[in-house]
Amino acid sequence: MSQIARRCLPLIAAMALFAPSQATAQPAQAANTCLTCHSTLADTRLATPAKLFSGTDIHRERGFACADCHGGDPAAAEKARAHDAAKGYKGAPRGQAQITACARCHSDADLMRRYAPKQRVDQATEYATSVHGKQLAAGHTNVATCASCHGPHGIRLVSDAKSPVFPTNVAATCAACHADPRHMAEYKLADGTPLPTTQFADYKKSVHYAALTKGNDLSAPTCNDCHGNHGATPPGVGAVSNVCGTCHAVFATKFQSSVHAQIFDKGCVECHSNHAVLKPSDAMLGSTGHAVCATCHSGADDKGAVAADTMHGQFEQLEAGIRRSGALIGRVKNAGIEVSDQELALREASTKLTLARTEMHGFVPASVTPIIADGAKIVESVDAAGEKGAAELRFRRRGLAISLGAILLLVVALGLKVRQIDRRSHS
Amino acid sequence: MVKGVVDWLDERLDLSDLKHFIAEKGVPIHTQEVWYYLGGMTMFLFGVQVFTGILLLLYYRPSSAEAYESVQFIVTQVKFGWLIRNVHSWSANLLIALAFAHFFSVFFLKSYRKPRELTWLTGILLLFLMLGFGFSGYLLPWNELSFFATKVGTGSAGAVPVVGHFMLRLLRSGDDVTGATLSRFYGLHVAILPAITTALVAGHLLLVQRQGMSVPPGIERAQKAGKLGPLAQMKFFPNYILRDVLAWYVVLAIVAALAAFYPWELGTKADPFAVVPPGIRPEWYFLAVFYTLKLIPSHIMGFEGEQLGVVAFGIVAIVLVLVPFLDRRASRGERSPVFTVLAALGLVYLVVFTIIGHYAK
Amino acid sequence: MNEDPIPTRAAAAFDRRRFLDALLAVGFVSTAVAIAYPVSQFLIPPASGEPATASASAGKAAALKPNSAHIFKFGSRPGIVVRTTDGDVRAFSAVCTHLDCTVQYKPDTTQLWCACHNGTYDLGGNVVSGPPPRALETFVVNLRGEPGDEEIVVSRA
Repeated sequence: MSQIARRCLPLIAAMALFAPSQATAQPAQAANTCLTCHSTLADTRLATPAKLFSGTDIHRERGFACADCHGGDPAAAEKARAHDAAKGYKGAPRGQAQITACARCHSDADLMRRYAPKQRVDQATEYATSVHGKQLAAGHTNVATCASCHGPHGIRLVSDAKSPVFPTNVAATCAACHADPRHMAEYKLADGTPLPTTQFADYKKSVHYAALTKGNDLSAPTCNDCHGNHGATPPGVGAVSNVCGTCHAVFATKFQSSVHAQIFDKGCVECHSNHAVLKPSDAMLGSTGHAVCATCHSGADDKGAVAADTMHGQFEQLEAGIRRSGALIGRVKNAGIEVSDQELALREASTKLTLARTEMHGFVPASVTPIIADGAKIVESVDAAGEKGAAELRFRRRGLAISLGAILLLVVALGLKVRQIDRRSHS
Repeated sequence: MVKGVVDWLDERLDLSDLKHFIAEKGVPIHTQEVWYYLGGMTMFLFGVQVFTGILLLLYYRPSSAEAYESVQFIVTQVKFGWLIRNVHSWSANLLIALAFAHFFSVFFLKSYRKPRELTWLTGILLLFLMLGFGFSGYLLPWNELSFFATKVGTGSAGAVPVVGHFMLRLLRSGDDVTGATLSRFYGLHVAILPAITTALVAGHLLLVQRQGMSVPPGIERAQKAGKLGPLAQMKFFPNYILRDVLAWYVVLAIVAALAAFYPWELGTKADPFAVVPPGIRPEWYFLAVFYTLKLIPSHIMGFEGEQLGVVAFGIVAIVLVLVPFLDRRASRGERSPVFTVLAALGLVYLVVFTIIGHYAK
Repeated sequence: MNEDPIPTRAAAAFDRRRFLDALLAVGFVSTAVAIAYPVSQFLIPPASGEPATASASAGKAAALKPNSAHIFKFGSRPGIVVRTTDGDVRAFSAVCTHLDCTVQYKPDTTQLWCACHNGTYDLGGNVVSGPPPRALETFVVNLRGEPGDEEIVVSRA
């Protein structure tokens, strides 16, 4: 702080010399000399907060000012009086002091009710349970605190698209620290290995990221949806399928009743990865090649391998059937046969395939087989209708060929008649 | 029975002039008489088009939201809709082919010479009208191919100097091919062009009936030189008429065969925002012109290549219209090899460029 | 035998002419029928009325009981028409916005539900829970016909 004072003093003196009217030009409303002084400072570290706070800031818009968080005297024109500790000046709060500073209001239910009744007031308590909170309590100050994610000045509502904690921005905000190997170097996993910094890069490959950024689906998960907001902690053993199951409920239920639930510590993550969650495909299922099951299962006497191969085969067959059927009725439709009923039925068959893929997460072929059988029956009926359509086309062709024959016969008769008439004309 | 009807009408309308005309009318018999039938066959197919077109009219909807679906409806739901639609599509192509054949036979046989200049005039305009029918009708099913072919075709109209942009906007009913274009083409196809065509066909037929069939110039010259006597005539009714009807049934058989063995596809519905499919081309009767325009380099001596091409074709069209007035020698009854050669060149150019245009990437 | 060859030949020619004329008549008539029959059939309006682009029939109003729904065909995609407990008739596209499965109506929760991944929609078509990213397309419902025997006609908004 003395450093700041040393830097500020000459400037203040200069201001006192050159702009004595500053002291008299007080705004009619609540005095805020903090902004008037800090916004003119050359040191950006001191000037930027003032600029940000003067822009879009939810606290300022609600009538709060610098002194409400930093303390001090907003009416005082010179620094010493403005920064008076007796007036409650605490400077820029860092670490635990920051948590306390924010929580002074944000954990006060009566106060928050006056501004945002539905907003939670347990963020600080939650934070204490998080990895960040625990590390902070243990003395590591290099962790995220309130301002790290929300910003200290120029704070926007979470629903504001420019807020660093708006759903589409959350991952980048977390990655500011978590993707930086230098920042994360001092932190290790329980077994001593360094913390990975590839999560953001992995997440950007995922379907969740695509849904959020390209699909405009704000309900798609980002870091806080699985790790928690203020109580940010990776989900523990046994918790993963619950976490994934908050959206993917059906899969979680099936998985939890399956054999893998007891065996997989990491639940869904074992097969689908945690950050780089890619679009799943039937190729993941099987006991050979790049199939995920092949990591543990192989050989004809491995029940799991057999189950995987069976289900894989069933899916392939149904999918191929749907494709083939679709091509047939597409051809027939293009030639002019009505096939909307069949198109509808093929949709139902695709639905069955989707349902089968869901059912597969119980890892029991016997429960998947009836669904596949339903789908196959639908495909069969569509094929039959397609064949009927093709037969109708052939029938039309034959009918036209017959009329063609009749016309040709008439043409021959006409030819004979012409000859006859000519002969008569000549004779 | 027919005689009874004719007598009934005769009592009331005095058909003696007509009867006399038909009884006396003869058609000259010579080696080139087979070409006489082409005109009637073209007219027959036009009649088929009007008939099937009116039937299609009962179900077709000329809006971009419904056109494709209405054609699909006709082809899949309406009884024999597929037949009517296929006949209409195939006989359109056959009609234009026959129109060109008729045009070339007249061109080579110099039937346009005095006194038949007006017949040629009405005929050449009818040929352009048939091409107009083909172009406007092609858009109506509103599928991918027809949408983009129209886009390319009307785009070429924009290459005409001075009035090109105005013409393009007039054709497209706007700057782009949209539902508005569809409405306009529909109006052209079912009202404007048929009205003009009916008038011109009536005129063309009247002229042919009044002046009788033209005899090839070679034969006329031989007759004048005394080497050939007067030509034998066959009676128009019933000898020629029966042959005409025979030809029409042959054409009908060809249309039926094509409709049976090569049914017209529905295609995919037009999507104005889709990428132009590669290798998009107009129908065969525009291929030669289209491919020629594509071959022209983009700039020739400071002028835009496409503009020059369009202007050149415009000049060709005007020259064609004026052929009877330009070919003085034929009008005098003399040999006119220049125009024979021009006709041959024209035919070869069209055939070769159509084939190349079809196989080009 | 050589007495009168010409009359025999003429008689034979006359017979041939009669035969040919008969053949021609049959030919003309059969081709005329081959043309007239399809044309007359073409003119008869087909059962499905008109192309189902903008609207489709969703069955009889009387057959749809309160707190029930049924699937109908809209073009080549399924639609679902629901009668709420208040008697209101609503129609939506039955294609789930998640992965295109066909949704169904659950009378116990009065919500539209997709069996594939547990997506749920309310009776406004809005997503209540689960993976669907967008609401269901809502259609306009009209009743057409004699009172008591109305038909539900669904059309695009």
